[in-house]
Amino acid sequence: MKLFIFAIGGTGSRVLKSLVMLSAAGVKPVDENGIPLTNFEIVPVIIDPHKSCADLKRTESLLNAYCDIRRQLHGEKVNARGFFANRILKLHDLAAASTRTIDDSFIFNLNAVEHHKFREFIGYDTMNQANQALTSLLFADYQLENKMSIGFVGSPNIGSVALNEIKDSEEFKAFANAFSAGDRIFFISSIFGGTGAAGFPIMVKNIRQAQNTELNNKEVLRRAPIGGLTVLPYFSIDKGFDPNDRRIDTADFIIKTQSALEYYDDTLTGNNASSLNAIFYLGDKVLSRPYEYDPGDKRDQKDPAHFIELIGALAPFKFAGMPESALSDFNGLPLPTKAFEYGLEKDTAEIDFFAMGKQTRALIFRRLVKLHMLFMYLRTGFAANIGQGYTEDNPRITREFLSSQFYRTLTTRFFNPYAEWLHEMLGNQRSVHLFNMGAENMGEAIFNVKTKKTLFGSKSVNNDVVKAELNRISRDNHDYDDGNVALKLLDLFDQAADKIVTDRFDNIN
Amino acid sequence: MKRHITYLACGIIVTLLFILFKENIYESAYYAQGFSDQFYNLGLYTPVALITAGTAWIGAAIYYFAINSVKFDRWYHWLVMLVIVTLLAPIICYALNDFVFANNDLMYIAESINFELYNMVFTAVLFIVASFSMRWWSSNCRHTPIPQ
Repeated sequence: MKLFIFAIGGTGSRVLKSLVMLSAAGVKPVDENGIPLTNFEIVPVIIDPHKSCADLKRTESLLNAYCDIRRQLHGEKVNARGFFANRILKLHDLAAASTRTIDDSFIFNLNAVEHHKFREFIGYDTMNQANQALTSLLFADYQLENKMSIGFVGSPNIGSVALNEIKDSEEFKAFANAFSAGDRIFFISSIFGGTGAAGFPIMVKNIRQAQNTELNNKEVLRRAPIGGLTVLPYFSIDKGFDPNDRRIDTADFIIKTQSALEYYDDTLTGNNASSLNAIFYLGDKVLSRPYEYDPGDKRDQKDPAHFIELIGALAPFKFAGMPESALSDFNGLPLPTKAFEYGLEKDTAEIDFFAMGKQTRALIFRRLVKLHMLFMYLRTGFAANIGQGYTEDNPRITREFLSSQFYRTLTTRFFNPYAEWLHEMLGNQRSVHLFNMGAENMGEAIFNVKTKKTLFGSKSVNNDVVKAELNRISRDNHDYDDGNVALKLLDLFDQAADKIVTDRFDNIN
Repeated sequence: MKRHITYLACGIIVTLLFILFKENIYESAYYAQGFSDQFYNLGLYTPVALITAGTAWIGAAIYYFAINSVKFDRWYHWLVMLVIVTLLAPIICYALNDFVFANNDLMYIAESINFELYNMVFTAVLFIVASFSMRWWSSNCRHTPIPQ
């Protein structure tokens, strides 16, 4: 199954970033029996005219790093285990070679939109006086003057007009052609801003109404299982330096949300609409620490990662794992929309693994701990182990590996953003305290989770323990005869860390 | 795996040959009139060969399977073990020789020392043979003293 994920706006990009982190850790969607899905692939498409948005750029860079790492680990294989298990593809990769006219990028090309002010885009100056008057009633002056290269700045009424162009784009056609029976579509957007709130219903409408177009797969698209994560208000914004600049205001979030929810009820999720198969609502009454005011033209919107984005990233996995019978009727048409919410087990300001609830823990605890152990081991123990133990088994890991493209990508392009992601979530509100970032010893790295007790204290988890486990598994493992050193390192570590987590840490599930 | 079994088989054969042809081997290395004859007559070559081979194999087994630690997996740790075994086996043998000679009112101190100096070489060789016979199954030290 290919899951096409349309991440719309800044929130879409940030949730996607968390999804990449989870995928790197090896989190996979599971079916109703808890069995990981096979033949599962993710095709993320970022829709945001604000191309200089730092959140978008960070996510795109992370996606590229992920794909580079995965390609070197598993090649083009769809099914894999362990770290970087989920295959992530660009729309460009799926387009037929002869029709690869779209950009080789995760970002949807919105050239038709992003180089204009909104008034230019709608041809305001060429309208007659009556139409100009009507337009002025529908759009405020600052909205007409809005340069769409910075997004729609909290104005879904702009976005709903501008993003309607998407259906005629090459990217949309490429998506429609690549989509096949069995695939699913998922949208990630916020409801209290501009780009996401507008883009989500428009994209759903364009997909459901594909039968009115010349697209090849229009019937498949009409019946496609579509899910969406609608992020309700969860962050707050500083007032900014200019008291007259009120283009984005935290005080407007709730009223905007209410309006959008009513609109969604009419067009997407209500009994008379049901364009969506499933919708996931996620928000928090505890707002984040205030983000710096930036409509997009001040500091290119670099907002810190947040707990809501981490939990939001689980929604596409949940949707992918839902059985077909729960989403569509016998004719393949959508059943009434299923709605989901998320609740913490403990309503606390500092979120650790215990606060998340059992299901979430079961899905992510072991995987994230293993990824974090890998992060720590590569930073503190790996280089010193080269030339010893498991590194000497075939295929040998030599010092040259430290300067290989793979290793540099993993340790810098992936793990630097990983550390940043954890730091940002830790510093945000609610604070996500999964790991003790300063811990030198892996046994002390998981916040509030201790190692098992022994007669004379507690079990240790350090680089020596990891190395011993790697040595043991490597001795009995001959799966890497093709000489893939990168795969050997990460696959052995996955197995070793799994054993260590089971044997040495308290079971918190 | 097949290669490792072959190494083990070779090691066992070499050790058995050493035990089987102990008199020839020891006397070709060190022969002293009187001392060597008494050594033979008192049947000391057999326990000495068994102690030497046994200490070498047990020492190697201790290193590769009992110690078997990532903290002691470097070539110099193995070398320390070799030195210990190489000293230990001749000391035990010397004590045995001395005890048996004393019970028979004999005294070959200088010859015994010379003999045990040669025995040190055999112990070292047997420790190396034992190491290369069994190290493949050690989880942490199979690449010690040199990588496979």
